[in-house]
Amino acid sequence: MAQKRKRPKSLYRRMQENAKVQAAATIILPVLLGIIILVLWQTQVLHHWFKTDTFTLPLLGRIKTIFMENIGKIWENVVATMIVALVGLAIGSLLGYGVAILAALFPRAGRGGLSVIGAFASIPVVALAPVMNNWTKDVSNDASTRSMVAKILVVMLIAAANMSLNAYRGLTELKPYAKDLMATYAAKKRTTLLKLQLPNSVPYIFVALKVSVPASIMTAIVSEYFAEYIIGVGRQIRENIVLAQYPTAWAYIATACLLGIVSYVVLMIVQSILLRRYH
Amino acid sequence: MKRINKIFDKKWASTVLWILLLVAAWEIGAFVVSITKRSPENILPHLYQIIAAAFSTNKVSSGMTATMVVLTSARATILRALLGFALGTAAGFLLALLMKLSGICEKMLFPYLMLIQLIPVLGLAPIILSITGDINKSRIIIAAILSFYPVATNTLAGFKSVDKDKYDLMYTYAAKKHTIYTKVLIPSAIPYFFTGTKIAAPMAITASILVDTLQGDGGLGCMLSQSLKHAMSIYVFWLIVFFSAFVGIFSSYLMNWIEALVSPEKRGMRKAKKMKGGN
Repeated sequence: MAQKRKRPKSLYRRMQENAKVQAAATIILPVLLGIIILVLWQTQVLHHWFKTDTFTLPLLGRIKTIFMENIGKIWENVVATMIVALVGLAIGSLLGYGVAILAALFPRAGRGGLSVIGAFASIPVVALAPVMNNWTKDVSNDASTRSMVAKILVVMLIAAANMSLNAYRGLTELKPYAKDLMATYAAKKRTTLLKLQLPNSVPYIFVALKVSVPASIMTAIVSEYFAEYIIGVGRQIRENIVLAQYPTAWAYIATACLLGIVSYVVLMIVQSILLRRYH
Repeated sequence: MKRINKIFDKKWASTVLWILLLVAAWEIGAFVVSITKRSPENILPHLYQIIAAAFSTNKVSSGMTATMVVLTSARATILRALLGFALGTAAGFLLALLMKLSGICEKMLFPYLMLIQLIPVLGLAPIILSITGDINKSRIIIAAILSFYPVATNTLAGFKSVDKDKYDLMYTYAAKKHTIYTKVLIPSAIPYFFTGTKIAAPMAITASILVDTLQGDGGLGCMLSQSLKHAMSIYVFWLIVFFSAFVGIFSSYLMNWIEALVSPEKRGMRKAKKMKGGN
């Protein structure tokens, strides 16, 4: 009985089954797409598609030159934005974590509090920022301090809402029977919290941070629009566009994107160090 | 005490408690501000003053009452946000589907999908406005971008969460690819899809309001900045703040509701409940 001869596999098929090719493709394909976009940008095909000109959408070289020329001023604004984003993120996350612990300790009253806080997370930043500006009028006579406090408060609220919801899940979604085990040990509430709930919540903290790090930068940038004192990467994007300084605006846009990416990479590195024992 | 505890077993009871506490805190703050400040309505008006402003028949601008101003501008803003949201969600879902269908597409696009989450897209609003040159278009585009990536990433995660057993079962049925998608993959991705839309909906509204503030062409954000500059009664500002907070929160509840209406599991659960009730 003649067995049916196996057909040779197609090249595509063979490549799909080769782990090395697949690993290479994970890197090569995105880079390829990036290069295509850059080429389209430089050859002004993008400009044609978006019906715009090199004035509004400058070529990359021009953006880089402007970036290099203004590096000092850009740095100043980066510092202003990052102080707002990071201080707000830190205070907000701590506050949110505290709220989560309280809610986990007193679940009856706490759950409702969390759903109110969750509602805070969906309030548009645009509505919060001007209110905070009004509330912080008396904090200081110095406009720059005053606006900084207002911006930090907005970022804080967003970060706190995010952290409390996630941390609460981390504190309460325990492994089955873990709590019963603690009960058989006759462990005190404090011991259960310290030995079981807090360690369990650590991965959830990072889940929250993965969302709130980019979100706090975005919030800082948006609340700059409404601030009294003109500083920060986001405000510079807007000011420069109002002045029709498009290349400068693009330099700040590039900066904003870099900020988002760099802070996320830093977060990932911190996570991989801290969570090593969890894996 | 027992009776009080019993009331708090219901989740809504503690939510109501927290809302009442917030209202009380607001009123105490408003009371303090009204004694100490010269123009308390700019900083923290009493809630009843805001409600009174909503129902007052005084004309605040061009023959419209405060509520009419808010509602007419809200229509422009929210319709654009909705359109952007619809386009963004559709694109997000289709992209996730495309990435699931083709490994090459996934490898090529996935890093960029991650990247766009880290970029403060709202900061790009002014440049998109100057590229498109049209406020309505840019409102739609930014709302679409912001609602696109949460939906795309979450839906893709949903497609990937399908167990291997389910595939195996479908293979034993000799099911066609089309059947696998419509019967297994898409239904199991639906809860993830809605997680994405719950994040996306408030963002789309925030985006739309923010773009309003960039140019004086009606819309909530535009009215917000005008009333802040005292071009009209400051109560318009407070009404808009509360209205947009409400819309933001409502939008994510609306998504919950639609999910309950659409998703198969929840539909089954409702049916079961009804049958139990019928018997």
